[in-house]
Amino acid sequence: MNDLALHVFLFLFSTAIIVAVSCMFAEAEDARALKLFPKRYFTFVVISAAVAAVMLVAEHTLASVS
Amino acid sequence: MTWLVPGGGHFYLGNLRTAAIGFVVIQGLYLLGVILSGGMFLEILPPEMRGRFAAALTPEAGNLGALIVHVKAYGFGERVPRPFPAGIHLGVILTASAGILNLLLASRAHFEARAQARATIEGAAPNPGIAVLAGWLLPGAGHFMQGRKARAVAAFLCVASLFALGTFLAEGSNLDRTRHFYYWAGQTFLGPTAFLAEMVHGHPLMTKTAAYADGGVVLASIAGMLNVMLMLDVYGYSDARLFGEPVASEADATGESTSAAEMQPTGDLQPAGEEAQ
Repeated sequence: MNDLALHVFLFLFSTAIIVAVSCMFAEAEDARALKLFPKRYFTFVVISAAVAAVMLVAEHTLASVS
Repeated sequence: MTWLVPGGGHFYLGNLRTAAIGFVVIQGLYLLGVILSGGMFLEILPPEMRGRFAAALTPEAGNLGALIVHVKAYGFGERVPRPFPAGIHLGVILTASAGILNLLLASRAHFEARAQARATIEGAAPNPGIAVLAGWLLPGAGHFMQGRKARAVAAFLCVASLFALGTFLAEGSNLDRTRHFYYWAGQTFLGPTAFLAEMVHGHPLMTKTAAYADGGVVLASIAGMLNVMLMLDVYGYSDARLFGEPVASEADATGESTSAAEMQPTGDLQPAGEEAQ
């Protein structure tokens, strides 16, 4: 299997569960917790992608040994 | 008090029966675990990790008094490494379980102290300590006891699927404290679910390196930590319902918080008066 695709899948799956549990923790009412999920998940993924992008840029510019 | 001596909190509150049962069960489990493991659980750590606070990050720290005695009696063992006894795996499961059960007993004592101070219980819900214990024995069971059945199923699926995925990626190498001392500790918060998986899988020798072992070990450990959040959710919900206080809600910030009494759980809840004792 494509290694990058597998890692992206694992990341999306594990973060979905982490965000789902955080929604349950934050909201005692199921409907409200469910409503929280999409925005939180989107925010989590976007910020994680931004951090990954910064790390890649830093690696290629400051830490590259090639 | 319970943290240092299991049952100490209940003894202080005058609930001698629970204090005695808690002390005997928890210390009995711990003692049996020490006997089976030869008291060697800290000898699992490699020399470079044997710091002063190495034992503080273990589930056994939930039973602090016993852990202190254990560390003083056995420490990190002799200078020369020695083989683990045959019962090491079951032994460390028992000592870890005793630590976590003592934390749950402490949470029950905490609730009962508050209930005594208030004298009256306004709502109906399972005792938070009992519900949290159920959530440790089987993720989602605490929510189920509270009548939150959809959330119970969701909770179980979340942590069980993450744990299963982690175990699959790690090829079962996560199910062994002698391999992953601290990551294994995270898994213990899944309770018998993780222990049963470990016993079914056994502890075979790894003949090759699992390609995604690191990721798998981390995911399985995260599953255990997420169950802690779920147990906190269970505790907070029962506590709020019994005391008639607002349940956890981000709407608090906007002044739209939901009173526990306004929520409509679907299950049959026991009368609070019976559970508060």
